[in-house]
Amino acid sequence: MSLKLRMELLLLDNLIWVIVAIFFLFNLLFTENFASYDNLINIVFHSSILGLLVLAEGLILIIGHLDLSIDATLAFAPGLAMLLAMRWIHGGIDPVTTILITLAIGALVGLFNGYLIAKVGVNPFLQTLSMEIMLRGLVLFLVPLSIFPLSRIYTYAGAGRIVGNIPAAIIVMLAAYAIFHLIIQYTTYGRNYLATGGNPKASFIAGIDTRRMVISAFVIAGILAAVAGLLTAGRQGSVSNTMGTGMVMYAFAGAILGGCSLNGGKGTPLGMLGGTILLGMISNSLTLLGVDVTLVSATQGALIFLAIILDRGRERARNHLLHQEQVKKLALEPGQQAQQAG
Amino acid sequence: MPKQDTDAPMLQLRDVSKIYPGTVALYKANLSVRRGEVHGIIGKNGAGKSTLVDIIAGIIEPTEGEIIVGDKKYTTLSRIAAKREQIAVVTQEPQVILDLTVAENLFLGDFGERRMIVNWQELYAKADQVIAKANLKIDARSKAGDLSMSERQLLLVLKACYVEDARIVMLDEASASLSQDDERLLHRIIAERKREGNTVIIISHRTDELLAVCDRVTVVRDGRTLGSQDCSRLNKETLSSLIVGEGFQLKDVFGGLDSTKVKSNQVLLSVENLTRVGAFQNISLTLRKGEILGLAGLRGSGRTEFLKGVAGIEPAEEGTVAIGNLKTRFSSPSQALKSGIVYLPEDREHEGLIKSLTVRDNLSLNALSRVSKRYIINKSSERKFTSDVVEALGIKVASIDQEVNQLSGGNKQKVVVGRISAAEPQVFLLDEPTRGVDISAKESILTIIKERLSAAAGVIITSPGLDDLMMICDRVLVLYKGKIISEFDRSEFNEGDLFLALQGGTKSQKAAG
Repeated sequence: MSLKLRMELLLLDNLIWVIVAIFFLFNLLFTENFASYDNLINIVFHSSILGLLVLAEGLILIIGHLDLSIDATLAFAPGLAMLLAMRWIHGGIDPVTTILITLAIGALVGLFNGYLIAKVGVNPFLQTLSMEIMLRGLVLFLVPLSIFPLSRIYTYAGAGRIVGNIPAAIIVMLAAYAIFHLIIQYTTYGRNYLATGGNPKASFIAGIDTRRMVISAFVIAGILAAVAGLLTAGRQGSVSNTMGTGMVMYAFAGAILGGCSLNGGKGTPLGMLGGTILLGMISNSLTLLGVDVTLVSATQGALIFLAIILDRGRERARNHLLHQEQVKKLALEPGQQAQQAG
Repeated sequence: MPKQDTDAPMLQLRDVSKIYPGTVALYKANLSVRRGEVHGIIGKNGAGKSTLVDIIAGIIEPTEGEIIVGDKKYTTLSRIAAKREQIAVVTQEPQVILDLTVAENLFLGDFGERRMIVNWQELYAKADQVIAKANLKIDARSKAGDLSMSERQLLLVLKACYVEDARIVMLDEASASLSQDDERLLHRIIAERKREGNTVIIISHRTDELLAVCDRVTVVRDGRTLGSQDCSRLNKETLSSLIVGEGFQLKDVFGGLDSTKVKSNQVLLSVENLTRVGAFQNISLTLRKGEILGLAGLRGSGRTEFLKGVAGIEPAEEGTVAIGNLKTRFSSPSQALKSGIVYLPEDREHEGLIKSLTVRDNLSLNALSRVSKRYIINKSSERKFTSDVVEALGIKVASIDQEVNQLSGGNKQKVVVGRISAAEPQVFLLDEPTRGVDISAKESILTIIKERLSAAAGVIITSPGLDDLMMICDRVLVLYKGKIISEFDRSEFNEGDLFLALQGGTKSQKAAG
């Protein structure tokens, strides 16, 4: 493989970052106030909650399923945990335990989804659709009015800043991406995870417990959604029943932009992070450019659409490159070809 | 129209070849089928039968040669031209739409509608007529999904013969899924078509069926046609020897090794009365260390199902599998793997490879525990490990980080073989390991099996043809309709006898061991 081909493949495989760079340069030139330190930090800060959901959805897409219930889990997990900590249990629960309870609730929601999908064979779309509707309804019932004020321990991760005025939420998100990047790349679990997503049948025959892999994927997504819920509650200083509404669609958009496929087996945490940043930049620059508030959503949709089309062209370009490489190789060994045909 | 001349050929193929890059599927094949004739086409797996059928049906385009239908000459018969010439094909797996009724399936494509409105009463009446004509007892209004496999197959025969009223009907292994009664029905329909001056072409593995039904039969061997013979002058043995050919000899490379090989008596695996209803029944066998055991059988004989049953992929329902100190029935492949049994799937593309991953990822998948410490993969030892496998098995790759999908068929298969052998199992279950690979890859895969895999383990191998099995096996068991019907030791290998046994016949020399 020539260096040129390797470079071309590297660019294509990380196309989302190329798009991010192009969009960044575009905004640098045309959008006022875009390039300031505060604004850039702001973009990542506002992306951090969505970033966790993109990671959750992306990991589910890699294993070949989908999860519509993550944005309801985002509201349900901290909602229930805070009710336990502040209203239902006399004397309250200490904050660390409350945070652990929140994560456990997210994990349980995922476990329930994963079990029904992997063991009982319920269609993931229908399973998580009903879960989404049910959890949204429960949140409305349990938290009709916002719960506040939350103690500083909860709000710090969502709203606090560390050195350099960097929000703690960014650190939480980047840490989550780093952890899953390492797990996917360097552990046996990660390898089995990728194999299961790439070809569940072959992986099953090869002796991987593919059902357990799928269940674990949903549990991870539930936990990540719960973390996102804690950040959301922390940022607004309260738990409300509208948290995360509609975010699952953006989570899908981010994951798909990041290279995931609805057919499973594709995508990397690094790519998903690129998808998240792109979504954040789009909404930020539309605001800065003064696009009518009522039009922001539609414009966002159109831009996502464009990026996805560009991304699909990537697959073709990639196959074309590899095909040409093979043709070149065949042309180099004409003797062998003739021998085989004769 | 030379209608009175019954000897005039209805369909002729002249020097038709089909050459794929790297393989010759059919070479200068000739075929002449007369009007009002029942013509059989027979040959071993991979001989070129299906290529021949696909060319006549207009599904694939020949590389050279001409096809003459009646008095029209074609270089390529398209699907549409084949339809216009009234050539119909009934395939092995019944292609019916399960949610439609029998009548809808029969008339699919032409409901006889007027201004887009179907007269259902008329349609069902017509369907009833067709069914009655064949003496079948099915309801035209029932769903095709409620019919048995055998009835679905007949439904397609009826569609080809009575609804489309094709001049040439090709039955591609159509009797394989028929029950005995339905087979008799089929034979009556064939006889009737013949009386009416129409032509029927039957493609089959089964010598007895062809001899009973056909006027003439054409044997296909190694992509060539051997000329047509009158069935009246053939019997099962002469036809079998035509199919097998004379020139077949065991390859010296493998033959020599065997006599000196000392076989251990250590039984690795013993299977007792393993049964899965509808797939295989009461199969018992033992496998020794270092032994290569062949499972021969036609398609549908249950060989794949049996191996998948042992490996827990499609778990068996009764019987036991004993390995080591364990006597059990595996219910998942991960259990079987832990006990030292690995399975190589016949469907390499869909069940063997993880195409989105690299050669390295695929090769190390079953050996992750050896290249990792506390669940963390050591990349450098993984690279070394996979490079060693690539070298040892002679896998041609540009780099171990290449996507596995970019490899050729033979090299892909070697990757799967490499992967399962990396698990260091005690028992290899190899389901058609040489399927769809070219000759040189085939030889090197067989050599790998013989020299590496069987060195420290036992191997059970299946193959669509007998050649592979005769080359490397120490023993061959013949499966027929889900049961073991005979056993051959290496000293008794004889392609003619084996071929007869595949057809359900017993050994000529002695009863099954």
